[in-house]
Amino acid sequence: MKTSKILAWIAIAIGAIYFFVPLIGTFEFSLRMRRGEYSFDAYQSVFSDIQFQQTFGFSMLMALFTIIFGMLLVVPTAYWVRLRLPQVRPVIEFITLLPLVIPAIVIVFGYLRLYNSSSWLPFTGSVGGTNTLLVLSYMTLSLPYMYRAVDTAMRAIDVRTLTEAAEILGAKWPTIMFRCIFPNVMSGVLSGAFITFAIVMGEFTMAALLNRPAFGPYLQLVGANKAYEPSALAIIAFAITWLSMGLLQLVTRFSKLTPSRP
Amino acid sequence: MSFLVLENIKKSFGQTQVVKDFDMSIEKGEFVSFLGPSGCGKTTVLRMIAGFETPSGGRISINGKDQSRLKTSQRNIGMVFQAYALFPNMNVFDNVAFGLKVAGKPKAEIEARVKEMLSLIRLDHLADRYPYQLSGGQQQRVALARALAPKPQVLLLDEPLSALDAKIRVSLREEIRQIQSQLGITTVFVTHDQEEALSISDRIVVMNAGRADQIGTPSEIYNHPATRFVASFVGTLNMIEATVADPAANTVNVGDNVVRLRESVGALRAGDKLSIALRPEAGSLSENAKGDTSLTGKVVSSHFLGSVIRTKIDVGGNRISFDMFNAPDAVIPQAGETVTLRFNASDFLIVRD
Repeated sequence: MKTSKILAWIAIAIGAIYFFVPLIGTFEFSLRMRRGEYSFDAYQSVFSDIQFQQTFGFSMLMALFTIIFGMLLVVPTAYWVRLRLPQVRPVIEFITLLPLVIPAIVIVFGYLRLYNSSSWLPFTGSVGGTNTLLVLSYMTLSLPYMYRAVDTAMRAIDVRTLTEAAEILGAKWPTIMFRCIFPNVMSGVLSGAFITFAIVMGEFTMAALLNRPAFGPYLQLVGANKAYEPSALAIIAFAITWLSMGLLQLVTRFSKLTPSRP
Repeated sequence: MSFLVLENIKKSFGQTQVVKDFDMSIEKGEFVSFLGPSGCGKTTVLRMIAGFETPSGGRISINGKDQSRLKTSQRNIGMVFQAYALFPNMNVFDNVAFGLKVAGKPKAEIEARVKEMLSLIRLDHLADRYPYQLSGGQQQRVALARALAPKPQVLLLDEPLSALDAKIRVSLREEIRQIQSQLGITTVFVTHDQEEALSISDRIVVMNAGRADQIGTPSEIYNHPATRFVASFVGTLNMIEATVADPAANTVNVGDNVVRLRESVGALRAGDKLSIALRPEAGSLSENAKGDTSLTGKVVSSHFLGSVIRTKIDVGGNRISFDMFNAPDAVIPQAGETVTLRFNASDFLIVRD
């Protein structure tokens, strides 16, 4: 075996140890709730906790709304930029990248200043309003991933020619959008959706500062007050993320919507 | 009255005018090719007919109806794109049925028409396949069927064969022509491939820098190019620099040779320069060949190209390519040999800019 190959394997091994040892340690610790033997008591305790169910359900609902409204914002935007306004593409890309450089805490403080109960748009004045603001903030956070996933899918199908082909066959905008474009960028939409789901399920800052009962703050609460349950929750959170990533891979790999290309 | 009429069409993108005063009338059922190099404006004209681009000036009418105010979706035009543009999420049947479904046709009618179209392109057995499961040629045939299914009044073909390999290209162009003749549909075909245009068109429009340099039948375009551009773009042509010898007798000097032209040299005087063109396939090197004119020169090189042998002859500083068919007993001229090329004076064309 060549030296470079050996070095590559050593690098992979170090990376794997760095990643897996803490995970295995956490998993092992989460099984130690019962004295002297391994058990899933910590998991049982987590799953039977009513607060877990409520916060998990709340975050799932928020994730669902974020995905739906995020896609309704991102897909037409990416489509329009590709088709009619390619010159504003760098601007849009810059805007979508902003959530990566502006810390979530800065964004949420901005929201609180702009949309507090005494402002002209008092989102935080009611539960519904605050939940709406939370969904909007999640949409902002997931924008870099969602936009790129959809934009990449659009690049692969030559949106302009497909639109023209549909148009000359007599199709109007709703038909073009929902029968010709949306189904063909579904792999990108789903990729964006799974990433969004993973982000929303683990997000802490926005939910905590807007004082909403989300899964992120619950993780922090349990971590601060209990011994074994936080480890079990960490493993559950990992499992959710991995499941999302696995589904993303599946969607990408088995997507039959391979574009027709010359 | 012509079926598709383009009157004084202009198109500018910013400061650049890409189509300049383009006029053309196309008869019903005619197959017209727009031929020209990249950037000559041929695709822009096609896109204006389709409604994808709005002309900066002029008028487009189909069957007497002005198209300027109609959207693309209202024009009832079929189009085949270079990149196929089949909908990847739909199988062959649904792709072909798309235009009919959009038009709200009854299910039974859609089914019958799609079957008819698939049998026309001989792909009935692939109705359930998705575009990615088809070859390039098959995809383009499906695209053709999809464009024809809603019975469009005009069919536009935007370099539909460019992405295909050579053999498929030849067979598909013949198929396109055969289907077009069978259906009698008015067709505009855009290509930069002169062989394609010459082989399947009723008429060809040779475009150069946004203008139609010449409009004519393939034979007219090939045998009587109207401009230097057309002469050089269509087919291979020897451009020979000659000097007028006697304007009254229409004779010119090519090196030491004196040649009489059929065409008048016009107002040129003795000693004036002029360009004359000669096709490589005109004439013969045989001593028994018929012909009222000849050019004598020295062989520079000979190349065996399979079906033809291409010989380059230097005549008074002009390098003339001459093609002769390959035959088992063909004598290949050797470099340095002095040869006489015999042909008819009518083979010469005076080229004007």
